[in-house]
Amino acid sequence: MNRIALNLLGAAALAVTTGSAMAQDKVIKIGLAQDFTAVYTFVTSDYNQGQRDYFTLINERGGIKGHKIQAEVVDTANQPQRGIEAYERMKNEGAVLVDFLSTPVSRAVVPRALKDQVNMLTLFHGRSDAADGETFPYIFPMTPLYWSQATNILQYIKEQEKGNLKGKKIALVGIDSPFGREPQPIFQALAEKEGYELGIYPYPSPGNEQSATWTAVRRFQPDWTVIWGAGGGQTVSLREAIRNGIKLDRLLSVIWLSEVDTEIAGKEASKGVLRFEGAAYGKDAAVIKAIETEVVAKGKGAGPAAKVGSTYYNIGVAGAALVAEGIRLALEKNPNGPLTGAQLKAGLESIKDFDAQGLIPPVTITAKDHQGGGKGRISQWDGSKWVPKTDWYAASQDLVWELVRKNAEEFKTSGK
Amino acid sequence: MFYRLSGIKHVSYAADRQLWPVPFDRYLVIAAVILGITAPFYLSPLYLGSYMLPWIIWATAALSLNLLMGWAGQIHLGFAAVMAIGAYSAIHLARAGVPFELALLLAGLLSALIGMIFGAAALRVKGLYLAVSTLAMQYMIDWIISHVPAISGGSQATLQTPVIRILGFPVDSDAGRYWVALAVCALVTIFMLNVKRTSFGRALVAVREKDFAAAIIGVNPFYYKLVAFWVSSFLGGVSGAVLAFCYYRAVTPEQFHLDVSIQAVAMVIVGGMGSILGSFFGAALVLLAPIVLNNFVGWFVAAIGLSLSPEVLALIPLILYGGLIVGFLLFEPLGLAKIYDNIRNYFLVWPFRHARR
Repeated sequence: MNRIALNLLGAAALAVTTGSAMAQDKVIKIGLAQDFTAVYTFVTSDYNQGQRDYFTLINERGGIKGHKIQAEVVDTANQPQRGIEAYERMKNEGAVLVDFLSTPVSRAVVPRALKDQVNMLTLFHGRSDAADGETFPYIFPMTPLYWSQATNILQYIKEQEKGNLKGKKIALVGIDSPFGREPQPIFQALAEKEGYELGIYPYPSPGNEQSATWTAVRRFQPDWTVIWGAGGGQTVSLREAIRNGIKLDRLLSVIWLSEVDTEIAGKEASKGVLRFEGAAYGKDAAVIKAIETEVVAKGKGAGPAAKVGSTYYNIGVAGAALVAEGIRLALEKNPNGPLTGAQLKAGLESIKDFDAQGLIPPVTITAKDHQGGGKGRISQWDGSKWVPKTDWYAASQDLVWELVRKNAEEFKTSGK
Repeated sequence: MFYRLSGIKHVSYAADRQLWPVPFDRYLVIAAVILGITAPFYLSPLYLGSYMLPWIIWATAALSLNLLMGWAGQIHLGFAAVMAIGAYSAIHLARAGVPFELALLLAGLLSALIGMIFGAAALRVKGLYLAVSTLAMQYMIDWIISHVPAISGGSQATLQTPVIRILGFPVDSDAGRYWVALAVCALVTIFMLNVKRTSFGRALVAVREKDFAAAIIGVNPFYYKLVAFWVSSFLGGVSGAVLAFCYYRAVTPEQFHLDVSIQAVAMVIVGGMGSILGSFFGAALVLLAPIVLNNFVGWFVAAIGLSLSPEVLALIPLILYGGLIVGFLLFEPLGLAKIYDNIRNYFLVWPFRHARR
């Protein structure tokens, strides 16, 4: 059954690519050089499947103003040199946008992309100060930065504590890497302002072993616990939290916590855990429904149908939708193409209140602000699915932007 | 055939100690040098910047490690850390206004100093124990770099390299950066070629074969092991700095993690321990084979009209790559350089096979 589906899909993919190339040369190329085999495996295949399914949806509907989107997928194994090679090759082939979904690769390619005027999508990864569109004109995070996720999570805690955090204890348990340390300045700054007691508990990378850290967390007796990791480390964090008797409805996670983690930790056992959410979970959003009926039901899906609507799949769809919206706006201004990197940049920077039909919070990108508002929400695991606890909101963006500007300034003065 | 030996007479010691007594070898070297220097004129920017450039830089690094592993017989599992010290110190020095040439040398010296301190472990332990203690160096340096923002470059942990200036002239083109890397590679290669025929090189080999036997014949293993670590770390630091300045241009801690050390060791072993040509072959195979295989498999699958999921597409090259390394080592355990050597030996006396030594 599966093989038949695969074969059908192969024929369809071939027909789409060759057909579109023959019928018309109006193709917009996008490079998806991602890590399928090394570190980011926990997210890459779902995310990539979401991206390609969305592009298929757009192409099935006739493309964007007669332009088809063609995505090239290649593995980088999270190695910067392979990412650079893929980037250079895709650039030669005329790609106007690349997405690596890998912090090391993105960081290594940033100087090249800036120089070559190739747009780079850094959804939930890469440099946070890239939100400063004036310093990083071709780098587009377009989603809440880790700093915004931190302020968002702390805002939720504050609301639950009825606006008063004085004397409360908050534990930040994160991986001991630049990514895990990134939210610390926010937690520290807000600790001073709100008067809560902050305990920082790093566990060594890659996070397979955290028992010593969680013993220390338990001794701290936090009112709230925030876990900050990705991949396997998150599952271990969740399991250790359960084992150490941390109340799960007082345990919040950065965006990288999905149903895969709760399944491993036990669906019932992890009931109540909270997480930051940047794109809606499930199949409720109109765009996911459209993919189900117009792409997956016709056998044109890029992967297993069961993945449609899962957390990382939907993030992939969100990224692809933002890119497609940018392309649409760019083509409105330059209807004849071929679309250049600079034109797509202008297109992406004119995205206004775009919510991908309810999949993501309204995003507005400007030439200055490549983050797009920093809105997200908190959702809770109810034993079988993630249920939103709040509406989309942003918090303490002034603090976030202070950090963004400070880091971007450092890049400007010292870099290049 | 080809490698004609007729007319080669060793009438002086100098002639006998020549690097390439066989004329055909000399022609090959000259051709390789010409091809190397003119690469920017016949290679597209893609192949120059993403294949040729990283290849020669990694070959430089593999040569540096080969001095330690191939000649002195000391394993080093923390070579990426040595390169990291070189890269980070060169960047910080260049940013502080030190000229690039000097920064390169100072970066090498600092790597040599730190590398030698860790290498001192080699005075007490051997083999697997040394592997573990150099592994510790890798983890310590990694930890220090990522935990000291002053080194790694703030919360984003990325440092942009300043533009290279050679004798005051800015080098800001792909070709320029390639030539800088090529020059360093050439210098290191010439150095390594000559190490072979110095008393230093012979002492290293003596230490490699048996350190107490070396001590009995008057070679001080204590001294030579330290010097081997010193020289290898110096060259490794310089190649790390070149990697940062000429290739990555933005340095992050992940670029010098353990997997990079393992790759460097793989380059030396697959290429051929104690072989200069082998370092080049090894770097090519370990660095470029995954990329080439990946592109080839992608092209091939598309060409025969098969559609596979990206995960499967990503795994096939990995399997082939693993098979390739195992296959080469089974075929010739002494490395890729030995395969070339076998071919050369065959032609050296062809068609008089019975004359083969």
